[in-house]
Amino acid sequence: MSQMLSPDMTIAAEAVAKAKIEVKNLNFYYGQSKALKDITLSLPERSVTAFIGPSGCGKSTLLRVFNRIYELYPKQTAEGQVLLDGQNVLDRSQDLNLLRTKIGMVFQKPTPFPMSIYENIAFGVRLYEKISKAEMDGRVEQALKRAALWTEVKDKLNASGLSLSGGQQQRLCIARTVAVKPEVILLDEPASALDPLSTAKIEELIDELQADYTIVIVTHNMQQAARVSKQTAFMYLGELVEFDKTEKIFTSPREKRTQDYITGRFG
Amino acid sequence: MSTAASLHQRRKRKNGVMMTLCVAAAGIGLAWLALILGALLYKGLSGVNLAVFTEMTPPPGDAGGLLNAIYGSIVMTIIGIIVGTPIGVLAGTYMAEYGRFSKLTTVVRFINDILLSAPSIIIGLFVYELMVRPMGHFSAIAGAVALAILVIPVVVRTTEDMLNLVPNALREAGTAIGAPRWVVIRSVAYRAAMSGIVTGILLAIARISGETAPLLFTALNNQFWSSNLNAPMASLPVTIFQFALSPYEEWQQLAWTGALIITLTVLALSIFARSLTGRREDK
Repeated sequence: MSQMLSPDMTIAAEAVAKAKIEVKNLNFYYGQSKALKDITLSLPERSVTAFIGPSGCGKSTLLRVFNRIYELYPKQTAEGQVLLDGQNVLDRSQDLNLLRTKIGMVFQKPTPFPMSIYENIAFGVRLYEKISKAEMDGRVEQALKRAALWTEVKDKLNASGLSLSGGQQQRLCIARTVAVKPEVILLDEPASALDPLSTAKIEELIDELQADYTIVIVTHNMQQAARVSKQTAFMYLGELVEFDKTEKIFTSPREKRTQDYITGRFG
Repeated sequence: MSTAASLHQRRKRKNGVMMTLCVAAAGIGLAWLALILGALLYKGLSGVNLAVFTEMTPPPGDAGGLLNAIYGSIVMTIIGIIVGTPIGVLAGTYMAEYGRFSKLTTVVRFINDILLSAPSIIIGLFVYELMVRPMGHFSAIAGAVALAILVIPVVVRTTEDMLNLVPNALREAGTAIGAPRWVVIRSVAYRAAMSGIVTGILLAIARISGETAPLLFTALNNQFWSSNLNAPMASLPVTIFQFALSPYEEWQQLAWTGALIITLTVLALSIFARSLTGRREDK
């Protein structure tokens, strides 16, 4: 019964907007071990989708397939399709660097580059655009404002990015990602290393950013998923157990496993 | 209760004994260093004067200086570093970045470790066969090549180690923003590892500036001023070796002074290197 229901439910979630990313029959392997099993789902444009599930369920792995960052490491392979606006990003012919300018990523631990705050943002912009100093100043300011960091750093743009607090560093990373004008932003547990105040700021930011970007967030924190996302995917042991509107997942999940997880019975 | 107390007492005694042994061992190690430095300062300092830095090495029985030896040491060290550093840094970069997961890296690391601990006289003999014999004469350039070969494994090792300390998350972040691999290495990994890599180069300079054996077979020595790279050239270590073994008092004094100069240079380089790494840890 649930097997029969699931396509309809996917469409229901999808009906909100056009699909930005469609994952079709995706399998992923770390060497011999299979980490993702036949994942199919589609993520609507300009909306926040959360991936939840216990550690090792494959939610971060799935995220890392979208921008093919996993290819930095040997013996990690993906098969199936991940369509970004209908184009399969897993195609051999896909230019990885261009793909990554379209799909930005923010990591669990803040990763400011070892350079000034200004340079942290200008670095990515400069890779693909030749713009004047004045334009660059504008881009940096705009990106920092977008990440709600401008007022805190506007007087010390030449200070090292490493001199900022953890929460500020993470917002700097978001600013850096936004500055290259991506279409999709992947957030891999962006607040798990931060204190509650910084977390709240990041969540506010995610809420604002969804007006312009398709956002995918991986999180351990179910309350966070409930607060920030429109749709939620629950994953378990490499499988996509359930994918639906967030309120549906958290109030009346279809699957018993989802129910057990969100009520804290395991995970 | 009483057993616990006696156990505690026994542990305290053991701790006391071990602590004493450790302090004594550290003291003995440091004492030698202090004695060497003290002897060098005592014997060498009295010979330091302007002539040391302005006059050539004298014939036996005459007064003179070490200018040609100091010059030769600086020239050969600089060439050795200029030749050895890029090779070492690039090889270390390959091992830590491009070839991180390849078998070749394991093999290269193993060979590099052997080279790192190879007796320097072997390197000297190798360059003797490679350059001095075919050329038919000793030369400064052969000396510089021997020093370069000593520089490479030190720089390879520190570069690889320092790049391996750069968190992968930083590389991923650079990659995720759309930077090609070489840009990530140049602008992110190198920057993060810079002070460590520079420290490695400074330590390599410190290492080769005191080397005697590889120069004996390659640059030989020169009593006179020579800036010709294709001819034998004096160097501080070889001059010290020659003068210290001589029966002439003036030569022996110059040997002490030369030893003091090298030691202080190496000391200064080491302190500078430490201050670089120290600054990184402060962050």
